Amino acid sequence: MHIKIDHIAKIEGHAGFTADIVNGQVKKARVDIQEGARLLEGILRDRSIFEVSQISARICGVCPVVHNLTSLKALEKALNIEVSERTILLRKLMMMGQIINSHALHLFFFSLSDFFGGEDDLDLIKKYPKRASDALSLRGFGNKLIEVIGGRSIHPLTPTVGGFLKMPDKKKLGEIFEKCGEAEKSAQNLASLFLGLKYPQFVRAASYVSLNHLKEYAFYGDLVKISGEEKESPAEFLRIVQEYQLQNSVAKHSYYQGKPFMVGALARINNNAKQLNPEAKKRLKSAKINWPSFNPFYNILAQAIELIHCVEEAKKLLHQILLKDLSKNDLAEKETIIGARVKSIKNSVSGAAAIEAPRGTLYYFYEIGEHGKIKNCNIITPTAQNMARLERDLEEYLPMIIGKKATKKQIEEKIKMLIRAYDPCITCATH
Amino acid sequence: MEKNRKPIIAIVSLTCCEGCQVAILDLGERFLNVVQQVTIGDFAFLEDKPELPNYDVVFVEGAPISKENIIRLKNLRERSKFLVALGACASLGGIAEIKNYQDKEERMRYVYKNVESINNPDIKPISHYVKVDFEIPGCPVNSEEFLRVSESLIAGILPKIPQRPVCYDCQLKQNKCLLQEGQPCLGPIILGGCEAPCPSSFYPCDGCRGPLKDVNPDNLNKQLVKQGYQQEEIDFIAQRFGIEDEIYPEPPAKI
Repeated sequence: MHIKIDHIAKIEGHAGFTADIVNGQVKKARVDIQEGARLLEGILRDRSIFEVSQISARICGVCPVVHNLTSLKALEKALNIEVSERTILLRKLMMMGQIINSHALHLFFFSLSDFFGGEDDLDLIKKYPKRASDALSLRGFGNKLIEVIGGRSIHPLTPTVGGFLKMPDKKKLGEIFEKCGEAEKSAQNLASLFLGLKYPQFVRAASYVSLNHLKEYAFYGDLVKISGEEKESPAEFLRIVQEYQLQNSVAKHSYYQGKPFMVGALARINNNAKQLNPEAKKRLKSAKINWPSFNPFYNILAQAIELIHCVEEAKKLLHQILLKDLSKNDLAEKETIIGARVKSIKNSVSGAAAIEAPRGTLYYFYEIGEHGKIKNCNIITPTAQNMARLERDLEEYLPMIIGKKATKKQIEEKIKMLIRAYDPCITCATH
Repeated sequence: MEKNRKPIIAIVSLTCCEGCQVAILDLGERFLNVVQQVTIGDFAFLEDKPELPNYDVVFVEGAPISKENIIRLKNLRERSKFLVALGACASLGGIAEIKNYQDKEERMRYVYKNVESINNPDIKPISHYVKVDFEIPGCPVNSEEFLRVSESLIAGILPKIPQRPVCYDCQLKQNKCLLQEGQPCLGPIILGGCEAPCPSSFYPCDGCRGPLKDVNPDNLNKQLVKQGYQQEEIDFIAQRFGIEDEIYPEPPAKI
C-alpha cells in the first residue's frame, strides 16, 4: 500500500507525507518538507551582532520571541555580558506570552478538530463558541504581554544585546496583571476540554529532552536534561547532537548518541512535572495518567497543562516586575561594556544558548569575529529535533491503524493527527 | 462579481515565517466576522479541505524560493481575479533576499551538504513572476491596515495606501526623532501607514514597508554618512528586507 498526503494543513509551514507498506511492514514513512531554503545560518554571517537577532526572529511568525531571545542569549554568552535581574524577568514574561499564544493556537485551531474528524475550524467555533473565545482571549493575553514589553507581538522590537531599548509602561503591565484571573479561567476551561478528550493509545519507547532548572519549571535556562538524570550544558549538547541532512530535503534531522528524541511540552512535563505551578500540578494529577508518559498524543494534553502553568507564572512575574523601578533603562551603561568587549575581540569569541520554545528546546550558537561580525552560526530548532522521532513514531504507529477495515481517509486522518500532535513548525525546521 | 454570491477568498503562503497570517488571525473576533462574509477557498491555518478552483481575492504571503513555490504562484494567478501580495517577503523579497547581496552559492554550501536538489534562485518579489494587483506592505503586515484594505478588495475595489513617509506616523505619535538623535533611521524614505511601531520602541525604521514611490534616497544616505555611518552599514540596513535593489535599480554612483 502506498500512502501519500500532498499537503498537511493546520501546521505551521508546508509538509506532506508518504509511506510504503508491504505485507503489513512499513518500508518508508517520511514527512516531506515543502519549503524553500532561506539559508538563515548562512545569511547571518558577516552581519552585525546588533541586527542578527532581529533577522533570526523572522524564522518563525508563531514563535519570533524565542528566536529573538535565544539569539540574544547566545551573543551575550559569547561576549560575556551579564544582563540585569530586571531584564531576565521581563524576558521570561515575554516568553510566557509566547508559550501561551502558541499553545492556544495549536490546541484549539490546529489539533482540536482531529478529535472530531472535522476539517473546518469554523464548525468547531460553532460547536464550542465559549472555548473558541477562551482560546482567542488567551492569545490576546499572551500577545499583550509581548506587545507591552517588546513593542509588537510579532517580531518584537525592544529586546537587544544586554537588555531592552525601551522599558515597558508600568501602567500597562498593571492592566495585564488585572486580567490574570480571567486568563487563568480561560486556561482552566481549555484544559478541562482537553482533559475530557479521548486520546489514541499509542505507547512507544523514546528519550525526552528539555531544559532543566534547579529552582523552577525551566523555560529560560539552564541545563539540558536527557530522560532520566543525565544533564549537559547547551554548548556540550550542541557538540554531541548530530544533524543529518536527508537527500532532497531542506530540513535536517537530529540524533543524540545515535538515537532520535522528542522535545516539547510532553518532554518538559516528563522531565520537570514536579516544578509545575500549583493549579497546573493539580490538573495534571487529575488526568490520572502515569508520568512520564510514552504516548506522543499526550503532547497535546501537556500543552493544555502548560497553558495553566504559564498563566500562573505570568502572574508571579508581573507581581515581581511591578515592584521594581522601571523608569530607568540600564542599557546605556551596558553599551560601553558591549562596545569594549567587541573591540577586544582578537580572533573570535563564541557562545551557545538554549531556551524552551513552545515546541521544544531551541539552540543558537554564534562565533563572533572582529568588529562584532558573525563568523559562524548554528541554529537547531525544536521541529528539526523532533522530525526523526516523529518519523519513527509514524513507522511504529502505521501498522496499528492499517487493516481493521480502516478506510484510506481514516488512516490519513490518524497520520495527520499524530503529526499535528507534535505541533511541528516546518518553517522553523527549515529556516 | 455575480450578485447573491459570497466572494471567495484564499490566504496562501509560499516560503516565509507566516507571521502575516498570524497577524491576521490575531484580529480575533474581528477577523472571524470578515470570514462570515466570504467563502474561504483556502486558508490552511483554519481548515483542511480541498481548495476551491477559483478565487475573487487571493492573498499571497512569502517569497517564491522553491520551484514549487513559483509554479504555485503562477497557478494562483491564473485562478484568481485579484492577487494581493501580503507582507514584505511577497512584495519586496524580505529577509530571504539578503543572500542576493552575498555569495549565495557559498551560503547554500555553508548550510547544506547535499545541495544539488535544492533551489537557490535570486530572491525576487512575487511581482517579478506574476501581475500583482495590490501590495500590503510590512514585516509583519499591520493588521488594522489589512482589515481596511481587505474589506475594500473583497468588495471588488482596489484600495489605496497614501504615499506618506514613516515620519508622518512618527510625528502623529509625537515620538522623538531618532534620525536627529544620530540613529540610522530610514523613516523619511519609507512608506508609512504602519503607525510607526519601530521608532516608537526606539528602534530605527529599517524599511520593511519598502520605499516611497520615486523617492530619491541620496539625501538620506549623505546625511547618514555625515553622521558617521560607514556606507556598508547603511547598505546592510537597506538589504535587510530587500529594498537596496528597489531604491537603487542601477548600482549607485559613489557618493
